Amino acid sequence: MMISRFVLAVVLAVVMFVCGTSAYLYLGSKQSKAAVAAQKPTAATPRAQALSLPGTLYLAQSGALYSLSAGRFHQLTPEAGWTMPALYPDGSKLVAVKATRSYSDIYVLSRLGTVQRQVTNNAARPRFDISDNHWSFYPRLSADGGTLWMAYDQPKYGYDAIFSIWSMPFGGTVRQGKLWTNANDYTGGDMQPVPVPGGLIYTKYDYGPDIKLVGQLWFTNRAGSAGKALTSPAEDCHSPALSPDGTQLAMICTYEKQISYLTIAPWNGSSLGGRKTVVSNLMVAQPTWAPDGSGIAFLAPAVGAGEFQLWWLPKAAYVPPPPSPPPPPTPGGPHNGPLASPSPPPPVPPVKPVQVTTNNGFDATSPLASLG
Amino acid sequence: MAYFIPAAQTALEATGQVIHVTPSPSMLFSPTPSATSAPAAVSGAFTVLLLGSDDDSKFSSDHVLTQSMILIRVIPSTKDVTMLSIPRDLYAHLSTGGYGKIDGAYSYGGPGAAIATVEQDFGVHIDDYIWVGLLGLVKLIDAIGGIDVVTSNPVIDDFYPADIYGGWPYDYERVAVLAGPQHLDGLHAMQYVRSRHGDLQSDFGRSQRQQHVLMAIRQKAKQMTPEDLPAMSAAIGGELKTSIGLPKVAQLLPLAASFDNPDQIRQIVLLPPYTHGGGPGGSITPDWNRILPLVHQYFP
Repeated sequence: MMISRFVLAVVLAVVMFVCGTSAYLYLGSKQSKAAVAAQKPTAATPRAQALSLPGTLYLAQSGALYSLSAGRFHQLTPEAGWTMPALYPDGSKLVAVKATRSYSDIYVLSRLGTVQRQVTNNAARPRFDISDNHWSFYPRLSADGGTLWMAYDQPKYGYDAIFSIWSMPFGGTVRQGKLWTNANDYTGGDMQPVPVPGGLIYTKYDYGPDIKLVGQLWFTNRAGSAGKALTSPAEDCHSPALSPDGTQLAMICTYEKQISYLTIAPWNGSSLGGRKTVVSNLMVAQPTWAPDGSGIAFLAPAVGAGEFQLWWLPKAAYVPPPPSPPPPPTPGGPHNGPLASPSPPPPVPPVKPVQVTTNNGFDATSPLASLG
Repeated sequence: MAYFIPAAQTALEATGQVIHVTPSPSMLFSPTPSATSAPAAVSGAFTVLLLGSDDDSKFSSDHVLTQSMILIRVIPSTKDVTMLSIPRDLYAHLSTGGYGKIDGAYSYGGPGAAIATVEQDFGVHIDDYIWVGLLGLVKLIDAIGGIDVVTSNPVIDDFYPADIYGGWPYDYERVAVLAGPQHLDGLHAMQYVRSRHGDLQSDFGRSQRQQHVLMAIRQKAKQMTPEDLPAMSAAIGGELKTSIGLPKVAQLLPLAASFDNPDQIRQIVLLPPYTHGGGPGGSITPDWNRILPLVHQYFP
């Protein structure tokens, strides 16, 4: 009798342990994946049938630069504040930003991520006030490679720290630089310069008619002039990207809301044509044209919310296919009787953006760089 | 049971807080600017007062100001949400007596005084409150895995208070939160909503950014399940207080998931002409003749 009670107690204890542990693990497995940390892009081996984007794409995650080529990611730098890669005009090297907590600088790197030289020197000297530090962001090189464009927080006045667009000789220093735009006070300033033939497109932040801060694309062709607005305050657009053939501009427009549409428009060298929204169901960031014109890469969370993943929008999504040729004439003599009504063309399924990565959290404030 | 112990502990310590709403002494004597609270006109609608405080070591933990006061009304049946940001410097009649900046109400009498002040001055009924400190917001956002926000403009601040993690609470640091869609962790979301030096609208601009982050938290809450509550509770610890009990929190998670249309989320900031500067002690003077009709329209 005593033995059977002992056995029963042991059995019950085992059952309790198994049931308790199982319930704990089961409930734990029902947790959402919302707080799961993003993986490094290099952690996963791409599937054989995975989408392979054209050329090489450079992007940033957690302070490190990565390249994506032939469907495989390569880490170029350590996680040390690296962001905003941009290519030399001939594609031979990269310029990129390295940010610390108080300042950021622009560097030249090889395409494999080796630092070759520091271009700016924005750290304040020891014992200087912390506000003597500076930020440099969004570096871009002119077509001849001789001029560096950037957003730089100079001049600033006390609490009014704003970005302006600067140019500087790429082999020189910021002291030799030229202030191109005068940002509006207490707005955040002018950002994202994109050199284009005949001038410069950039994003200007300012107060719209309803006293909300909004982004607007502007075009200027001379230093000291804001130029002319390309988009309206109500469109609230930023992040301009020029197509490889220079005829179209991709941008992000948010219409003063917590939405972010991928919009494209024809560009004739001085003004934008009619807008076309090509992605409206994702929080799109950093559109970047493929060098061969076959599509647009961008960053966005997976449907819902989450960290930003890499997406690809094939060209067919925004360029309608050419009309199919008319059917050849029916052989034979003159046709008698009613003509057969032409059958409607088969419906073309809409081309949707393709999510390339699933568990990487890319830096959505860092433009992508694309090399053919 | 063991799985939900952290949530149960939070339920005991942080949620279901009893509010002692003390009527203002002058409510008995002065008809202005208070108005009587109207009952909720729509069945199921409820109003929550969201309070955010700088609770770093510069302040006594029992007497912190509310840097952020947002009145939120939710109508589940129509899926309408209205967010009204109350300027922290609004010169108002405090429920604890006298006049002063409205951010002092919580300092003088805790959540009960803050609720009573808003109820009497704005003529609204408040069902519940949520109070969160600086670290609480950081931890909350980190616990849900960060948020996706379309930041309206670059937020650059050379004099941002470095009072959460630094050793000297009066120190400051540089921050640069760039513009556009991005994923923010708790620390950077805090920088986005707290910085005010680089904004012409100062506290008003900050209020608009706070509403952006609130909407992003709501969006992220759509992904959460009741099984996430223990981990969230453990992460937030005592950095959040609310009168909403944990069972109701679990009910609200699926409710948040049903609000899909951003056009049904109304954001109100009391910019001029509803308010104007030049009040006593650097306060903001309300124009109650404009404010009260607006408030009664959306908070009946």
